[in-house]
Amino acid sequence: MYSRIIRNDILKSKAITLTTMLFVAAAAMLVSLAAILVVNLSGSINTLMTRAETPHLLQMHSGGIDTERLAAFAKQNSNVDEFQVVEFLNIDGAHFIFGEKSLANSVQDNGLSVQSEKFDYLLDLDGNVIQVSDGEVYVPVSYMKDNTTKVGDKAVISGKEFTVAGFLRDSTMNSSLSASKRFLVSSNDYAQMKTLGNPEYLIEFRLKDMSGLGAFETAYANAGLEMNGPTVTYALFRLMNAISDGMMIGIIFLVSLLVVAIAFMCIRFTLLAKIEDDYREIGVMKAIGLRISDIKKIYLAKYAAITAAGSILGFALSFVFKGMLLENIRLYMGESENSSWAYVLGIIGILLVFLAIIAYVNGVLRRFRKISAAEAIRFGTSQEKSAGAKRFTLSGNRLFNTNIFLGIKDVLARKRLYATMLAVLVISAFIMIVPQNLHSSISSPSFIHYMGIGNYDLRIQLPGNIDHVSDKVAEIAETLKSDQAISKVAVLTTKTYKAKMEDGSEENMKIELGDHSIFPIAYTMGKGPAADDEIALSTIYSDELGLKVGDDITLVVEGKEKDLKVSGVYSDITNGGKTAKAVFTDNSAGAMWSIVPAALSDKSLIDAKVAEYADKFDYAKTSDIDEFVKQTLGSTISSVETASYAAIAIALVITVLVTLLFMKMLVAKDRYSIAVMKAFGFTNSDMKAQYISRTVFVLIIGIVLGTLLANTLGEMLAGKVISSFGASTFDFTVNPFMAYLFSPLMMIISVLIATMIGTSRAGHVKISDHIKE
Amino acid sequence: MKKMIIADRIVKSFGEGDERRNVLDGVSVEISEGEFVAVMGPSGSGKSTLMFALSGTDSVDGGTVVFDGKDLSSASENELSDIRRNKMGFVFQQPTLLKNLNILDNIILPSMRDNRKNAASISEKARMLMKRVGIAELENREITQVSGGQLQRAGICRALMNSPKIIFGDEPTGALNSKSAQEIMDLFSEINADGTAIMLVTHDAKVAARTERIMFMRDGTISSELALPKFDGTDLDDRVEEVTEKMREIGI
Repeated sequence: MYSRIIRNDILKSKAITLTTMLFVAAAAMLVSLAAILVVNLSGSINTLMTRAETPHLLQMHSGGIDTERLAAFAKQNSNVDEFQVVEFLNIDGAHFIFGEKSLANSVQDNGLSVQSEKFDYLLDLDGNVIQVSDGEVYVPVSYMKDNTTKVGDKAVISGKEFTVAGFLRDSTMNSSLSASKRFLVSSNDYAQMKTLGNPEYLIEFRLKDMSGLGAFETAYANAGLEMNGPTVTYALFRLMNAISDGMMIGIIFLVSLLVVAIAFMCIRFTLLAKIEDDYREIGVMKAIGLRISDIKKIYLAKYAAITAAGSILGFALSFVFKGMLLENIRLYMGESENSSWAYVLGIIGILLVFLAIIAYVNGVLRRFRKISAAEAIRFGTSQEKSAGAKRFTLSGNRLFNTNIFLGIKDVLARKRLYATMLAVLVISAFIMIVPQNLHSSISSPSFIHYMGIGNYDLRIQLPGNIDHVSDKVAEIAETLKSDQAISKVAVLTTKTYKAKMEDGSEENMKIELGDHSIFPIAYTMGKGPAADDEIALSTIYSDELGLKVGDDITLVVEGKEKDLKVSGVYSDITNGGKTAKAVFTDNSAGAMWSIVPAALSDKSLIDAKVAEYADKFDYAKTSDIDEFVKQTLGSTISSVETASYAAIAIALVITVLVTLLFMKMLVAKDRYSIAVMKAFGFTNSDMKAQYISRTVFVLIIGIVLGTLLANTLGEMLAGKVISSFGASTFDFTVNPFMAYLFSPLMMIISVLIATMIGTSRAGHVKISDHIKE
Repeated sequence: MKKMIIADRIVKSFGEGDERRNVLDGVSVEISEGEFVAVMGPSGSGKSTLMFALSGTDSVDGGTVVFDGKDLSSASENELSDIRRNKMGFVFQQPTLLKNLNILDNIILPSMRDNRKNAASISEKARMLMKRVGIAELENREITQVSGGQLQRAGICRALMNSPKIIFGDEPTGALNSKSAQEIMDLFSEINADGTAIMLVTHDAKVAARTERIMFMRDGTISSELALPKFDGTDLDDRVEEVTEKMREIGI
């Protein structure tokens, strides 16, 4: 009997059944994917860390080192299984050149290393320990991912030429969270290049008994040994390896929760509508003595069938998509050892979704209990009490057309009912507007303020490692100054200095030297550096180093310590947000790069001038400022743009779907009132006008709230994201046409269409069926 | 008297295929302006269906219904709505008031659709009607706060708002106690005396006895009629006796 009832019911409402099933399928797919990814991720990390023999304790150290004392300590400590010191030659990113590209903008500390002798091996992409020949370099796998280089390419590192022989997995430094990246070269090449960078040391231990790690860590610290740098343990390596894919899994999981929530809403509205439709039958079944659980079974069976079908479909789909998502894990960590467990866990995850949905349906069906058999048989619909808005009366209404009045009155009288729809509309408006505003903000010209650059029109950039660089910079500056079309010229040179930290350690700091008053930037605190002993810091530096305006910082300049006073703090999202500006002159240290920015007296000449100087100074890079911004932020802007379109699409789909189902439920609930009003001469178009007034009323509140929320909470959230890149304060640059006209308009149109479709049944309500004697 | 409703051999059937059955099987009815008629008959005889057909609330499958010179079977949905709103009033067994609106708003609702500008005079008329049916003090009450008899009075006010030519009542006293029922029937008699035609569908001989013509239905046709003199408020018991006698005679 159940199967016949289910079949009839599904055939009667194909579209909604299909939609519900698809949402269940999507939820099941995502949960299954998350499970598969979790198992593979942990399996791959295990494989990688086992094969590479990741150190149990790693102490990074820069400065002098006493290897013998360390070896003695290792020998003495009974828990030490193996001990080694690995050298890491830190070289500035600008000196890694792959064809046209360099790592100048890389936020990582890049450096060279040789293959370890005892453990902590660098592995190739097949998971084998790499044997590297002279003239070859193995590049960290993250630079394969971002297409910096490929196998067989030429690489120039600090002037020496290498061939990229392959890519390496580094169990300690793979993660983007790890600040350093090891490039693998042969011992001969390393020995030759040793003077070209700053050596750092990785002091590494493998223990016999991992449980004694805590005690060993304390013993090391107490022994007063080298520890000018961070200490990292095995567990932390595991965490760092897991985190970026782990975050992806987390996001997939969150999205799956959202999808489950939408599926719940679909189910809730269709089920409530169905209960209203069957109200009299349910009453009769109760009256003739069927138990509530018997009646529930009929309804549960249908959803069990839909959910089961969706779950199976979702599981199948997760196989289609898993390859795509596992790609990254496979690339960074290699194959997993226990992937068969993944499917078991996937099925368990899907079962949980299945059970959650059945439990939810069961919960919605609880209202059977409240259905009074007598009332159901007599009225055929639920007799809910109306509440509120008592003073909003038709007799006192002069403002609205009667249909509009009735629409608004209904919303006010049944606030709880409409709250769900309002919430959905607010959320939709929010997720529609925030990414859009973020996109228009970062693509607007005023976003330059967050990039720590002044108001100039063109810039000519030279790398620091070409011959006679200072002469060339001077030549360019002179040429520009003598150009009638150019009003202002500056010369800014970026060099690296060691900055003394409070704890005595040193950190490399990129400082832009030159006259910063020619093209002033906006300072969030203080002002630009004017005197020799002043320095301005980017927001991230200021936060990280704990330095405020007026504080002192010590740099090593020309081998001597130099104290500078922080004069100001500014927003900068370039160079990983870590930059500084100063005016002192220093002829010793090699420049990383120099730029010659210039302003034109006639802006319309920009294209001609860029072309002219690009041609004249072929050893430098000439670009206009818009182009520069686009290049620096281009990929970010375009991915935010894609995300904003996706957000609009998702928001609209959710809006249409929920409105449609909600309206269908309302019509089912309101059959009686519809019949009454029709009996007293209200036409079908009157009814439609009433429903449209209800939705438009809710919609307007929803759009207003959503927009307000987007511009307050949304701006705050976006500001948090932007500030992690280095901007201090952040305000949305709103494109009013898109945010206040186009987006609401799209929502209104889709909601109206959904309302029309959803309420089309209102016209078919027959008076004689619903007003019984 | 001028004929207001002329229904000619109307047929209405329900069900599908073999189970299809004529609930109205070629019924012809005429109702004159200002007439007070009742329709009686056992359950399932087609009383309510006849009322829905004559008022254009439900379409018919055969025959014609002409109301006030207009053929309802050829009228559009909107024309039917207009006719129901302007020329007919309805009173049902259950008080069909909307729960979102208070008593006054429920009463003025059909009139407000077209004449929002005259809200003041419409409300005035509603108050007058409420006073006449004895619920003047209830205008701001919610419909859950008043008794069944009071709701039915409000329903009658609503039916009277547009000064209809006819009021259709489907068991209007069926859900009321006998005292309230009698008061409601007194009201109908008064309304009829003012010239409004009334057609009541009822089981109750006491209700039917107040009308001037009773149609008895059986199996989708009018099997018999009983004409009575106009009720003047004095001889109700005799009239009830006469109706009951007739019912016994034809076996209802």
